[in-house]
Amino acid sequence: MRNAFMNTVMDACQTRDDIFIVTGDAGLGVFDEFKDTYPDKFLNLGVAEQNMIGFSAGLSLTGFKVYVYNIIPFVLYRCYEQVRNDICYQKLPVTLVGIGSGITYAPGGMTHYSVEDIGIAQTLPNLTVISPIDPVEAKLAAQYSLEANEPVYIRLAKRGEPAIHDRDKFDITLPQVVKEGADVAILFHGSISVEVMKAYEELIRGEIYPLLVSIPMLQPLQKESLLDILKKMKHVICVEEHFENCGLGNIMRKVSLESHSTWKLKTMGIPYQFIHEIKNTESMREHFGISSSDIVRTVKDIAGGVNERR
Amino acid sequence: MDLIDISKSIRRTIIELAHNSKGPHVGSSLSCVDILATLYFNVMNFEPWEKRDIFILSKAHAAMALYSTLAARGIIDKSLLDGYYQNNGTLPAHLDRFSAKGIETSGGALGHGFNIGLGMSYGFKNNKEDRKVYALIGDGESQEGSIWEGALFAPKLGLSNFTAITDYNNLQGYGRARDICSFEPLRSKWQAFGWHTIEIDGHDHKAINDALNEDPMGKPKMIIACTTKGKGVSFMEDQMVWHYYIVTDELKKKAFEELR
Repeated sequence: MRNAFMNTVMDACQTRDDIFIVTGDAGLGVFDEFKDTYPDKFLNLGVAEQNMIGFSAGLSLTGFKVYVYNIIPFVLYRCYEQVRNDICYQKLPVTLVGIGSGITYAPGGMTHYSVEDIGIAQTLPNLTVISPIDPVEAKLAAQYSLEANEPVYIRLAKRGEPAIHDRDKFDITLPQVVKEGADVAILFHGSISVEVMKAYEELIRGEIYPLLVSIPMLQPLQKESLLDILKKMKHVICVEEHFENCGLGNIMRKVSLESHSTWKLKTMGIPYQFIHEIKNTESMREHFGISSSDIVRTVKDIAGGVNERR
Repeated sequence: MDLIDISKSIRRTIIELAHNSKGPHVGSSLSCVDILATLYFNVMNFEPWEKRDIFILSKAHAAMALYSTLAARGIIDKSLLDGYYQNNGTLPAHLDRFSAKGIETSGGALGHGFNIGLGMSYGFKNNKEDRKVYALIGDGESQEGSIWEGALFAPKLGLSNFTAITDYNNLQGYGRARDICSFEPLRSKWQAFGWHTIEIDGHDHKAINDALNEDPMGKPKMIIACTTKGKGVSFMEDQMVWHYYIVTDELKKKAFEELR
């Protein structure tokens, strides 16, 4: 996803001279070619995140389309007030490209996880938030950001994720039906898509066909479009590699309440606690109950209930 | 009008705003008037507006000084001042760039405008635009880590079109900066960081003017302007309380007598 996103941005430099990439000593190898081709369109501002964001806001004020690349804690947490005051409050078209969403970097330790970033982003008016599920969405997110006149935050995992969509052109601002299905819908965003797709393959082997809906743009969420997709559903399961209390699950609790939804909501996410477990990403997902087998079990429990009532 | 009269007039407007709003930061605003007057009336270029030089009030709690200067220079309409820090007003106590012309950046939290200014000066340099950026920081503000993050990068980037000015009144909200932390010696710190550094009397218009025009020899410039908080009104001068005190009817009258 990282490469799909950054390559789209870097390719745009062939026809635009206003794009500028700033990093905070991150992205080993990603920008080597770009730096050589466009030496005056790239800056490594070092290990100084407050300056990195403030500086980027200033660059933006002089007409540059600025991309700030760093791991999520250093693009959103360490410099929260700069993002709030300098970029969002001033409504500057700076794109924050955050790498290492969720527990991508496990067992790197809690400081390097990003399990609350969507919650934090929800406190920032003017900020558009995109959490792509695959390289196709990452590329479309990049295209969106290139045209955006507002701050954008892109939440990426790492590189090498498989393509999930079989289409390559759609409206990234809208929830997307990935697989048609009935009764039970699974909503997801970001890198948990790998687990969702694995679960889906197993479910269809058992002739259970849930509706899969990716939500690339979490903020602003196009609620009407989403409610329309969900209107025939009996159950909605929301799964994400993020704290359960402040991510998409929480957004959906509000949507469900406000829309007097007829479907029942079940949220799956990482419990709201500091992570001390030392496990790799897959084991960590299993530990926190958001792995493919957890998704399968949850859908089967619910689908069983649906069938019993019939 | 010469800069002495202009500065006096700006100071009167500040007292007026502080009186009308019953708001704080009078001392902080009076402290930097001579710097702002010199910048806006003698040094900065505003023609054409699209290619103007940029001034960033990083110590944005001194907003009254900026509003009063912008009005004196004719950049904003004087009528906007009536709504300073008022219910359903026009201008907030800290800066909002959408509130009026000439407010280049939003600000209020310390240690932000300085770094935005660095980004702007780099942008102008990169665009090969001959535009200068000035940022005024406070000595209290110099305790922010972000200031020193930026201080490390500006020389490396050759930002000779960037001038920072420290309003060195040595009196912050709750005490003397030098009693609160070891930020002194200030000049040698900036020198050590690779800045072209000048120390002046921050109320001497000629000294301010000369320092602003001095060739920085390819480096970013730091002017340490030694100032007096509350300058121009004797009973406010160097008095910590005037970071937060409000101007009553009687005090306004007394201040105006001194600023005639």
